[in-house]
Amino acid sequence: MSGYILKRLALAAAVILTVLVILFSLLRLVPGNPVTIALGPQATPAAIAHYSAKMNLDQPVWVQFATYARNVVTGDLGEDIFTGRKVAIIVGEQIGYSLMLMVAAMGWAIVLGIPLGCLAAVRPNTWLDRITGVLSVGTIAIPSFLMAIWALLILSVQLRWLPAMGAGEAGDYGDQALHLILPAFAVGLGWVGYLARMVRASMLEVLGEPFIRSARAFGLTPQRVIFSYALPVAILPTITLIGMGFGGLISSAVFAEVIFARPGVGKLIYDSVQARNFPIVQGAVVVTTALYILVVLLSDLLVSWIDPRVRRVL
Amino acid sequence: MQHLLDIKNLSVDFHTLQGRMKALRNVSFGMKKGRILGIVGESGSGKSTVLWSIMGLLAPNAKVIGGSILFQDQDLLTLSEQARRQLRGEAISVVFQDPMTSQAPLLSYGRQMADILYRRREMSRCEKRGAAAEMLGKVGIPDPAFRLDQYPHEFSGGMRQRAGIAMALLTGPNLLLADEPTTALDVTMEAQIIHLLRDLQAETEATVAVVSHNLGLIAELCDDVVVMYAGEVVETGAVRQIFHAPRHPYTQALLECDPARIVERPARLPIIAGELPDLTSPPAGCIFADRCPYTLPLCRTEKPPVVVGTDGGLARCHIQSGAVAARVPGAVMPAASGPLARAANEAPLLETRDLNIRFPTEGMLLAKLQGRQPKGLDAVLDVSLTLHPGETLGVVGESGSGKSTLGRAILNLVSVTTGKVLFEGNEVQSLPEHKFKPLRRNMAMMFQDPNGSLSPRKTVRALITEPLQIHGIKERDLDREAERLADMVRLPRPLLARFPNQLSGGQARRVGVARALALSPRLVIADEPTAGLDVSVQGEILNLMADLQAEHGLAYLIITHNLPVIRHISDRIAIMYLGRIVEQGPAEEIFRHQHHPYTASLVQGVPQPDPDRKRAHRGLKGEVPSLLERPRGCDFVSRCPNARPLCHEAKPPHRGVGPHRVIACHFPLA
Repeated sequence: MSGYILKRLALAAAVILTVLVILFSLLRLVPGNPVTIALGPQATPAAIAHYSAKMNLDQPVWVQFATYARNVVTGDLGEDIFTGRKVAIIVGEQIGYSLMLMVAAMGWAIVLGIPLGCLAAVRPNTWLDRITGVLSVGTIAIPSFLMAIWALLILSVQLRWLPAMGAGEAGDYGDQALHLILPAFAVGLGWVGYLARMVRASMLEVLGEPFIRSARAFGLTPQRVIFSYALPVAILPTITLIGMGFGGLISSAVFAEVIFARPGVGKLIYDSVQARNFPIVQGAVVVTTALYILVVLLSDLLVSWIDPRVRRVL
Repeated sequence: MQHLLDIKNLSVDFHTLQGRMKALRNVSFGMKKGRILGIVGESGSGKSTVLWSIMGLLAPNAKVIGGSILFQDQDLLTLSEQARRQLRGEAISVVFQDPMTSQAPLLSYGRQMADILYRRREMSRCEKRGAAAEMLGKVGIPDPAFRLDQYPHEFSGGMRQRAGIAMALLTGPNLLLADEPTTALDVTMEAQIIHLLRDLQAETEATVAVVSHNLGLIAELCDDVVVMYAGEVVETGAVRQIFHAPRHPYTQALLECDPARIVERPARLPIIAGELPDLTSPPAGCIFADRCPYTLPLCRTEKPPVVVGTDGGLARCHIQSGAVAARVPGAVMPAASGPLARAANEAPLLETRDLNIRFPTEGMLLAKLQGRQPKGLDAVLDVSLTLHPGETLGVVGESGSGKSTLGRAILNLVSVTTGKVLFEGNEVQSLPEHKFKPLRRNMAMMFQDPNGSLSPRKTVRALITEPLQIHGIKERDLDREAERLADMVRLPRPLLARFPNQLSGGQARRVGVARALALSPRLVIADEPTAGLDVSVQGEILNLMADLQAEHGLAYLIITHNLPVIRHISDRIAIMYLGRIVEQGPAEEIFRHQHHPYTASLVQGVPQPDPDRKRAHRGLKGEVPSLLERPRGCDFVSRCPNARPLCHEAKPPHRGVGPHRVIACHFPLA
């Protein structure tokens, strides 16, 4: 198992390095000099030369990359163009809010979607199965920004049950939780249907396997057959899917953060792109990429923990 | 004798898209306490349905519509699901067909076995573990306490089936059901499992029912036999009665078809002509009337009565009741085609010279860094074969013997590491595909799994003309070509419009044969041409292959683990073990006398469909080692009964014995 973890970690590091190379080259591919863009058309040649030297742009490309990579690894993501604050600190302030939203959204989707999928698979073609089927496809099909706006209008504006804007008072966890409900609902809803469909399909397949019949032939109770024998096998592809889904969540969190005016990395990237504050965009992308790779790694480790067969390959 | 289980008039229907299939109709038989009963039948006979009816685990679309299953004085069919669950795994247990798929992949054996003991509340976890380890030891798994924490994928095939038997016997059931317990295993493993089952039955005095299509297994293991055909019991009796004096024409025909029973090499293998009746509307008269050589009008209109024989066995046949006179049937076997004159001095069509195929098991990088050859396993080692036009060469081996890899390498589907493949005298190994493609017209492959190798979305017509399209042959009329090929393989023309899932096993095979022959090849490589076919159909395919060979002068390279079959169709045989040929020579000679101990154990290890010819010896010990752990010295040394010190030191070279035989053994059998 430890050998497997080491291999996976090495692979994750390689992926992060590749992402850094791509990000770095993309920036060089954009037409125009970053210094003239940053300083605007009225910049004096002296100012341009000063900033070029400050940003290492007078160095060869590979030196620039080495400096950049070293900075990223040591946690230096550059400075905000306008305020001069450290990007790492700015992103660090926001990432907590985003993580909370993502975990809450995926969390309720998992808690509801997986049991629903199991139930539908255990009793296929019953009314329960059909209703979850229709609802699943419905929630997958409806764009989640629409759900967000409806939820906002009905629950917050009309009924005034839940707060509409912001992330709640800092330090007041109850208030923060209240503020989390609507965005998490909107972001996670599509995933409930998605997970339910996914679990149903793989569960149905697994329930037809000979080893399930063996377990039943040994007289095990239906509950044990489903939860100890079928579910661990059926859940494996779903775990991988959830891990990869986190990447998608980062981008769908952008709209939720914009609509609900929540702080978060998504909102930060959105605002920074609007303001052409590239160091922040770049830093935030590096952080979210690392986060994504970490989640995928965790999901793979979870799969290998459940499935002894996986540990041998790779 | 007291019956432990009594099935009376059991009828089961399946709801299918084609309508209600009457899968079992009035099935009745008893199981005597402390004996082994064999339930034998071909696919579609309903033998598995009987087994799952006893367990109460029929498929959701099945419905029991009548009858009773008395077990220890209670009718299982009237019990609640909960009461039946109490019996499962406790009083009645099952050994499954394929241990690979029938054991939970994510749970260790210790966990699976503890789960089976869940009703034993009085046992502590530690005691359950102890009981499980003890049972694993009993079925011959070494170091059981350690093995208990392993998972099914860490066990070899034979060990897995042993563990399956341990799981079934863990609770000490009164009734043990075994569903094709050796079908997924190699011949040498099969012998071991048969012995294990017999020993354990004698020790525990459990009553055992073995469901199988394998007549050899039934003859060797069982005391009583029930013969089923198309959802009915046609004959029951003691094993000697069934195998020595079968009364029902179906039993007789089934026994005749078993290649293991046929001593002489006939020009043609016997078959049972015709197909299973449509069970959505079973015939009014005798179920076997359509395929029976004795059929008279009465057989088609009236159900035959049950006739009790002197030994207590039953047969359902009008001949037995005296209503129909037994007569000598007309020629059951079609006239034999004349034996082929085979020119041995003709130039060989195919030749392999010292062929080696090595699969790397680690990347080049690591090995390069350490300055050595990358590790790998030798799937094929020093294989030299020749095949002449019009000749059949059988390549025989157990799983892991490299026989399939050899076939793929000849067809340039696997790259050759060293050595040569010569086709019509030209070197063809490792050619780039664009140079090899024209040769593919002359060498065709018949694949093992006909349904897996046929696209489910294409009609038979499209499938059998596909080779013509791949090779861009436009001048021929495809429709006419399809009909010509269908006629050639005796596939009824209306089937051309069907899809593969609408074909029977034998029909799908014929499509495979037609595809292989579409381009009139000179060489056909057939990978397990009869695997998964019933014995009554298997002969048809082999006869067809023989006819086509006589007609077109084809050369066959047949890859198989099935010795009895290969015996009847091969001119020469090569036996492979761990990628190396251990013995090669004319088929007749090899079956008459074996030089290599492995060949001897294979030939003698075939279960004989004759209860009086039970194998005296215990077959080979152990299992085929992994290719990653090839023994030092002779490959076979770890299992050889006559291994001597030299065998541990040096690999025996190939050497000629007599004019036609080659062996690789230091101390060949006299």
